[in-house]
Amino acid sequence: MSRLPVGISGYGVAVPRLRIKKDEYAKAWGSFQASGVAEKAVMGFDEDILTFATKVSKRALASVALEPGKVTRLALASTSAPYVEKVLSGTIVTGVGIPRGAFVSDHTTSSRAGTEAFMAGIEHVIANPSGYALVAVADAPKASMWSPIEHGLGAGAAGFVLSHDDLIAEFEGHAAYACEHFGERFRPRDEELIRDLNVKKFAQSSFMGATVKAASSLLKNIGTKPEDYAHVVIQQPDARLPRTIAKKLGFTDAHLASSSIAGELGDLGAASAPVGLAAALDAGKLGERILVISYGSGAASDAMSFKIVGDRKAVPGIRSELDRKHYIDYIQYLKLKGAIK
Amino acid sequence: MAHVSVPMYWRTVPQRYGMVGQRCRKCDAVNFPPKGVCKYCNASSEFDEVKLSGKGKVHTFVLIGAGGAPPEFAEQEKAGGMYPVAIVELDEGPKVIGQIADVNPKDVKMGMPVSTELRKIYSEEGVIRYGFKFIPEELSR
Repeated sequence: MSRLPVGISGYGVAVPRLRIKKDEYAKAWGSFQASGVAEKAVMGFDEDILTFATKVSKRALASVALEPGKVTRLALASTSAPYVEKVLSGTIVTGVGIPRGAFVSDHTTSSRAGTEAFMAGIEHVIANPSGYALVAVADAPKASMWSPIEHGLGAGAAGFVLSHDDLIAEFEGHAAYACEHFGERFRPRDEELIRDLNVKKFAQSSFMGATVKAASSLLKNIGTKPEDYAHVVIQQPDARLPRTIAKKLGFTDAHLASSSIAGELGDLGAASAPVGLAAALDAGKLGERILVISYGSGAASDAMSFKIVGDRKAVPGIRSELDRKHYIDYIQYLKLKGAIK
Repeated sequence: MAHVSVPMYWRTVPQRYGMVGQRCRKCDAVNFPPKGVCKYCNASSEFDEVKLSGKGKVHTFVLIGAGGAPPEFAEQEKAGGMYPVAIVELDEGPKVIGQIADVNPKDVKMGMPVSTELRKIYSEEGVIRYGFKFIPEELSR
């Protein structure tokens, strides 16, 4: 079945200004548990995922020069929303100036929520050829300071305008994988912090199984091969795991280079694959392909393929966001996270 | 704490989230925040809604620290340290008060160009109150 091309018309990225280095953890705890993470981004006291989702939404719209009044669909994603019950998108609609008749949805239950929201946007523009979907993903996951999973948790956000119009990256296809899994990265109702039973091999086999299956079925479905891709974006709970997945799929470290952000930003949760995609779009050249693979514990994975068809870039790009930083120490970090009150 | 009820805060959401002000139909001056009667000509209560750019220059400022924050900002000061509060002259004319974020307090200068972005202002009764803060202009786009 042939259809009008759909894809990304614009995008934006934002990273909080505060950073903490791994040495601060090493001083406090004697070790640092997130492989390959040298420093990570931290939200300020007056920032949360809604302020960041608003910021990247505005940047994504500005990159296409699209009036917020044109948006017909808003999909918001995060695992660390400030409310468990309340329409979170309401803040974005009003903060950005999106029409109140736009269909909104909040995607919040796993680190795969970012690509889940992205696909909701793609489905909207396929069904509504004159529509514009805005996808806003921001995350700053929280865990107990005593938990090893806490060490890597960072913060960041990316937004995308999806439509049929003026594309910079054409969407080529999507494949998904979901199955029952548990014990890795979960948050029971009534708990504010992520738990992880820290059974590493068990968690990694789920991560690897789901991502490899989703990505292989995508390549099979659309008839592409690893050598057709210049950029591969894989969920980054740390800087090491994506390399193992890439290798298994027949990709090299060079494919991951443009989207490797965990080393400087940490684990961005639901925003990991979206911010990685924004970084790959920043670096991408006309005609190149991007493969995106997300993962959410529980467990599911989305794989999406894009071809770059336009050279409009986001302002600011990921590099200037990475370079804008102010370091804090571990005590300031504890205060900002509300770990000492 | 200077208590602002939830409905009262909600009514100010357009100005706090979207910099929505009003242009006086009689004297053409821009009022921000919105007023019942134009504060410039004192002769009209007829306005057109106008969305301000959020851009302006620091007119004057003060650094709040050492326990000097009002109760609703006390936790912010404890967690994040000293913070600047400025009167900013907006490009459209009005002078408004607001915090300056994403800046080393010592680097704030009179005349410094700033723009607005959405931040958490404070929380009360479990409700997060969002609104604009100023940030140095070179950081905004």
